[in-house]
Amino acid sequence: MTGQLPYDEGDYVLVGEYALGLLSPVAAAAFEARLVSEPDLRALYATWADDLVGLTDDIAPVVPPAKVQRRIEAELFGLATIRRAFAGWRGMGWLVGGAVAAAFTLLLVMDAELLAPDGPRAPAYTAEIMAEDGSMLILASYDAADGALLVRRERGTPPPGRVLELWLIAGDAAPVSLGVLPQTNDVRFDIVEGLRPQLDGGILAISDEPLGGSTTGAPTGAVLATGAITSL
Amino acid sequence: MTRDDIETLIARSALGDRAAFSALYVETSAKLFGICLRVLHDRAEAEEAAQEAYVKIWRYADRYRANGLSPMTWLITIARNTAIDRARKRREAQPGLDAAEAMVDATPGPEAQAISASEQGRLSACLGELDAGHSDAVRRAYLDGETYAELAARAGVPLNTMRTRLRRSLIKLKECLTR
Repeated sequence: MTGQLPYDEGDYVLVGEYALGLLSPVAAAAFEARLVSEPDLRALYATWADDLVGLTDDIAPVVPPAKVQRRIEAELFGLATIRRAFAGWRGMGWLVGGAVAAAFTLLLVMDAELLAPDGPRAPAYTAEIMAEDGSMLILASYDAADGALLVRRERGTPPPGRVLELWLIAGDAAPVSLGVLPQTNDVRFDIVEGLRPQLDGGILAISDEPLGGSTTGAPTGAVLATGAITSL
Repeated sequence: MTRDDIETLIARSALGDRAAFSALYVETSAKLFGICLRVLHDRAEAEEAAQEAYVKIWRYADRYRANGLSPMTWLITIARNTAIDRARKRREAQPGLDAAEAMVDATPGPEAQAISASEQGRLSACLGELDAGHSDAVRRAYLDGETYAELAARAGVPLNTMRTRLRRSLIKLKECLTR
């Protein structure tokens, strides 16, 4: 099938072991270095990979829940996804002119220990809300047992005379205010019962608001940073 | 959706076309999620693995052309490798737990077997030429991410014996597949 390849039995085995994931990390890295410079070895690997993929033919397809695609888009496209979520609800007007907002993006997170170093109980969800330039970093961690969202501002302050407000965006629903971040670094928000199920797969966003927070019930300033909520 | 269609969606994703990426997800996510579930035996973990896999697919889409794999092979390999990495990390954290779980559906049921593609017929036939224990080891390595050490422990043989045995199986398998 593959014609004349300048490889011996040892290489056939090596490629098969690599394709199965049986090589040690060091051996796999050495093999990958060869793959880059040896087109014939790549061709050999391609035939192995195509053959072995047959092992998955028996595996029945299962449609993943919609939140998986939402999370992928949130992780990859961050703010654009948020914009769409907001747009469905009150247009993009409040974001227009958000040259600042456009400069920020979302990073994903996953450090269960960050906010509960002493607690025996790990939080159920966590999120890291970060501005692209690193000027703002906010960690959030949700404890499902008592419905508490613990938020820690690691870095970043609001513009003078303004405050930071935290929002939850679940699916295509309008953003819901979770509250204004106080001057202190740590704050606990008690999430009302009805909102709790929406945290999973949702997105947290920080907007720039007048003192006391938005008076309209909706974000009025620029979105400074966003982060997807990851279940642990 | 043909092989060419999927290739086109990957190529357009490489150029930053989000609509193409979304279409690629719609077309292929059930297959990839099914594989993540099979490897991880846990819905929440499979969801995270699928998410991680598609993030890689978007980021590495421009490398697809260079590697010579067929498009579904490339996508499935990314999902499989991502899920295997997670399964291994979990086993390191909780040794013993996963081995038992992995036993559950190592053999596909008759229903699943019925939807096998023709390519797999060839692989199945060639695996069938190996001793049952040896073909099982190939399956476990691929679908459960078992290492030489784990395969050896399962078979109750020294690690080097398992390594020699599996390497011989790979030679036989390749001979059969290229026949």
